[in-house]
Amino acid sequence: MSTINFAAREINCKIVYYGPGMSGKTTNLKQVFSKVPSHLRGEMVSLATEDERTLFFDFLPLDLGSVQGFKTRFHLYTVPGQVFYNASRKLILRGVDGIVFVADSAPNRLRANAESMRNLRENLLEHGIDVKEVPMILQINKRDLEGALSTEMIRAVIDPKHELQWHEAVADQGRGVFETLKTVSRLVLERLAKGQ
Amino acid sequence: MIEPSLALYGEPFDQVETQIEDLLVATGVRYCLLVDRKGFVLSHKEALWAPRPPALDSVATLVASNAAATAALANMLGERTFSEQIHQGEQGAIYVESVGDVALLTLIFDSSVPLGRVKLHAKKAILALNEVMKNLKEAPPIKFDADFGSSATALLDDLLG
Repeated sequence: MSTINFAAREINCKIVYYGPGMSGKTTNLKQVFSKVPSHLRGEMVSLATEDERTLFFDFLPLDLGSVQGFKTRFHLYTVPGQVFYNASRKLILRGVDGIVFVADSAPNRLRANAESMRNLRENLLEHGIDVKEVPMILQINKRDLEGALSTEMIRAVIDPKHELQWHEAVADQGRGVFETLKTVSRLVLERLAKGQ
Repeated sequence: MIEPSLALYGEPFDQVETQIEDLLVATGVRYCLLVDRKGFVLSHKEALWAPRPPALDSVATLVASNAAATAALANMLGERTFSEQIHQGEQGAIYVESVGDVALLTLIFDSSVPLGRVKLHAKKAILALNEVMKNLKEAPPIKFDADFGSSATALLDDLLG
């Protein structure tokens, strides 16, 4: 549930980018950071290893503006994708309001996508929450790769019942980045409006 | 809902503000924040003489994440939690202590301020803050108007194109 600060009249929503290692989660945030005007965003914090792999998380605050008298902000996080950083992923999911699952279209990453989704379900369950309770969007990234997996194949392993909204993306060119963020933000705000 | 949101408003909010203001004066620290466990700033005060604070969103996020990581470490070592964290640099320091299971009191100060004084006053303030937190009630539901969706969508269009 979003944190509502009545005294400051602020609504804060936490959106987490999840997915396998190297699928483009940090690239999504870097694109948002580079394109949103500086007065509407805060500093981007990246806790990364020397070779720029995410170690703990990346963080970027965004100001939406005032919705019915409440200053509304989105806090965007990524998790580290590498399998051995699961403790960090669990911590970052704390208080999540919306999830972007970034799937990798590379031909050899189908299993990694599936395992990351299973890991997401397990980590949410450890917090006592079913994956269906959190607004989630699937972003199928790296669509420009030669021999990219078909979107049908990726959806079949990530979302076999076709319950998720999804977007194709080439995050390092900025394609599909804002569309994805807009869709998940809308879902989070709709849920908030319903008082959930 | 993974983490409860804190309904800090009205009288409890005023009490927290008073405690933080008193703590600021008694200790001589630059900035004093109350941060929730999700990494959002609930309340903050800064000394009149202090320079412009660093990005508080980032400070709160890192403090909460650090506390969560420290708690996970404590659990691995058979402790329920480590309640306080101190980071000392050449020019300044940061002191973070748990306010029950819901919030983190965070003080940022120059190296000229004695850590003992900070800890002493912080622990007193935490006793009072704990009492305030115990008496928090459920947040009243916010009633958004019917045009909430359209206003939010218009803002999203402005922000994200």
